[in-house]
Amino acid sequence: MKIKIMSLYVDDQDKALRFYTEVLGFAKKTDFSQGPYRWLTLVSPEEPDGTELQLALNNNPAAQTYQQAMFQQSQPTAMFFTNDIKADFERIKARGAEFTMPPTDVTASIIAMLKDTCGNLIQLTQLKRY
Amino acid sequence: MTDRAQYTPGPAGGARIEKEPVQGSEDKWTLVLVRELRHSPEKVWQALTDPAHLREWAPFEADGSLATVGNTVKLTTVGAPTPQVSETKVTRADAPKALEYNWGGFDIRWELEGFRGGTRLTLWHNINRRFISMGAAGWHICLDVLDHLLGGNPIGRIVGGDAMKFDWQRLNVEYAKQFGIEAPSWPPKAAQKS
Repeated sequence: MKIKIMSLYVDDQDKALRFYTEVLGFAKKTDFSQGPYRWLTLVSPEEPDGTELQLALNNNPAAQTYQQAMFQQSQPTAMFFTNDIKADFERIKARGAEFTMPPTDVTASIIAMLKDTCGNLIQLTQLKRY
Repeated sequence: MTDRAQYTPGPAGGARIEKEPVQGSEDKWTLVLVRELRHSPEKVWQALTDPAHLREWAPFEADGSLATVGNTVKLTTVGAPTPQVSETKVTRADAPKALEYNWGGFDIRWELEGFRGGTRLTLWHNINRRFISMGAAGWHICLDVLDHLLGGNPIGRIVGGDAMKFDWQRLNVEYAKQFGIEAPSWPPKAAQKS
């Protein structure tokens, strides 16, 4: 048994694809449609066979309520790890992303938070070495 | 079920793309599929609108009849990885000539014309251009299954993953070639640049 995929609700799959590839720098892995359904996943170019992130269209009222509540409570709905959060912060900011928290020291890590423009807050995490 | 086991779709054909310019955006593409059936428009109309008939060939389940304008019907995509239900309102139902509704944000229009004692059936479906050859391949198989059903020889719905066992990938590549676009690869091979 393996953890192979994580799903994230987005309010617009085309817009999300642009943000997650062009701004964050991930790569498209699968893009498939059946009728109105679209299966869209990304991977990190650093790990082409690694865990995939599914960008799922949020057309479910219950999930929309959840997504909005998480956003209003400043809770991230996905977390990505980096080895250099300062460099990633500068790179992503330069591409137009809006950060709600710059890189900030917390217990055992440095975290930053940004808006994905599709209804979510995304957390970047760099673990501290002791 | 031997007829189903023996079924193989013929070569891609009878499809074209209509491109409509959209101000400040990509052209809107609509798949147009034409199929000649040896059955009357009345019979074809029933197969397009009656949930019991749709269940035998269509890529969705309908919880009500599509034959009346204004009817609100839930369409459930068959074979999608998670249940996909979209509510539609029938916007045109001129029996047995023209039927229009929307499936999950994409417009569908059917036209039926009497033709040599049978029906010339035309489908317009404004699928996202990225998936238009996939849609053509899927509808190709569905319309073959519809033809069997109308002929009194149903072979059972072939949609979703089932279509992969019936040359769907070949049709996808053939239609992409005919439309002059790159075939979206499925199953995926490796990570691609967006």
